[in-house]
Amino acid sequence: MKNLLEVKNLKTFFHSEAGVNKAVNDVSFEIPKGKTVCIVGESGSGKSITSLSILRLIDHPGEIEGGEVILDGTDLLKLSDAQMRKVRGREISMIFQEPMTSLNPSYTVGYQIDEALGLHQKHLNKKQRFEKVVDSLDLVGIPDPREKYREFPFKLSGGQRQRVMIAIAMACEPKLLIADEPTTALDVTIQAQVLDLMKELQEKKGTSILFITHDLGVVYQIADEVVVMYKGHIVEKASAKELFHNPKHPYTKALLHSIPVPGVTPRKSKLDTVDEDVDYLSFPKEIR
Amino acid sequence: MSNVIYEIKDLQKYYEINLGLFKKPKIVKALNGISFDVRRGEVLSIVGESGCGKSTTAKLILKIEEPTGGKILFNGEDITKLQHHELEEYRKKVQIIFQDPYSSLNPRWKVGAIIGEPLKLNTNMSKKEIKERVLYLMDKVGMHSDWYERYPHQFSGGQRQRIGIARALALNPEIIVCDEPVSALDVSIQAQVLNLLLDLQKEFNLTYIFISHDLSVVEHISDRIVVMYFGDIVELKSVDDLFRNPEADYTKKLLSAIPTIKD
Repeated sequence: MKNLLEVKNLKTFFHSEAGVNKAVNDVSFEIPKGKTVCIVGESGSGKSITSLSILRLIDHPGEIEGGEVILDGTDLLKLSDAQMRKVRGREISMIFQEPMTSLNPSYTVGYQIDEALGLHQKHLNKKQRFEKVVDSLDLVGIPDPREKYREFPFKLSGGQRQRVMIAIAMACEPKLLIADEPTTALDVTIQAQVLDLMKELQEKKGTSILFITHDLGVVYQIADEVVVMYKGHIVEKASAKELFHNPKHPYTKALLHSIPVPGVTPRKSKLDTVDEDVDYLSFPKEIR
Repeated sequence: MSNVIYEIKDLQKYYEINLGLFKKPKIVKALNGISFDVRRGEVLSIVGESGCGKSTTAKLILKIEEPTGGKILFNGEDITKLQHHELEEYRKKVQIIFQDPYSSLNPRWKVGAIIGEPLKLNTNMSKKEIKERVLYLMDKVGMHSDWYERYPHQFSGGQRQRIGIARALALNPEIIVCDEPVSALDVSIQAQVLNLLLDLQKEFNLTYIFISHDLSVVEHISDRIVVMYFGDIVELKSVDDLFRNPEADYTKKLLSAIPTIKD
């Protein structure tokens, strides 16, 4: 089978007194094995809710109303809660945007990686787990992994913390890694390192990556396939090369033209903007 | 008036960190004696990673903090020595636009009151005059006059940043310090705010000190760029020069790290 994950007609709605907010409305896409798919869109376009729906981490008042999320032939939406818990962390894991807040400040770095292994790889004993944690710290490029095992998160820089998050996510060698804006809070030079690391791990382990971002420069660096979301819908889906060189949907075009490109966009010229008065959903969707 | 608005000479800022009663305090050197000037009517950008001292520089220029050593000459006058009335006058000429449009506006105040506050405090305009001025400013930043009575939470991030810009313009400043004004915004909104900043600069002959870590944005908007690294200036050049032939190793590293949509 070529595709690791298939999302079909996914619908996630939020119910409130003011009415129904269709955060994700009939979204379908595939993630091939060993490839990187990027979801791009503005805040509120539904890109984060899509990834949380895949992991079934939607809380009340949100509700997954319909569709299928098929991982290697099994529909995740039909699993029991207990079965789903085994998928999270083992088959699919996630990295969040804020490395400062997503680690527990009162446990050591090593303990937090060990926790994931202890939950999902019960056949390992303590010593084997320790070695595995050290290996994974080494793999993500943390110097002196044996020393760093006992450090608390506050002693690490933002980039190192994000590396630890990646180590936790990769500890059980998941098939799919979901990264929700993993580099947005980092400096450009550190961002480049983290992106390189993710690409390297993908080559070594064959992991598929679902990458969520609003930074089109990052998309160009890392994506094989791109999904453009707008107000809960997918408006364009194409390979990265095609999307950047030949965007078809008016929304994608507006988005691409709104960022200045050094050396291409005339300096201090007026940038194109995404027009708030245009209903981009009225154009036909471009799905290639 | 001379062409140079700011002359910054050997500016230093050290922070002391107390390690305990009987220990010597540790000294963190945020700025190691930097010198540069800001020319009238230009956009001077300061770039560098977190902790390099770019925000410290802004705080010293705005006189939110006092320097450990060095001079900041504003139109030839050393602002580190300003007192009371002179300081008030200085603050009217220098304004700031903050990074986060969500936390920099008072949620309990209406838009009209937020933009009018500097006028109320610093001028003896009547209520009617203030309202007229506020409506004029709102028009300039592209906001509808009906929004005068609204609260900040009724607006999106980009609209809120417009409120912040209107407030900064209220007193007709000479210089505006923009501290990462677009980094909290979506790309599509970012373009609108950049367009607005450039339009306003032309119309009001403003000088911007633009602090950012986004080099694509900096390249688009600036005339000259200061690259900072751990409290020192590693390079100060015109945009063209910096992007065409970067000299310092750190600048090269920084430029190669920008993710761009180009092969």
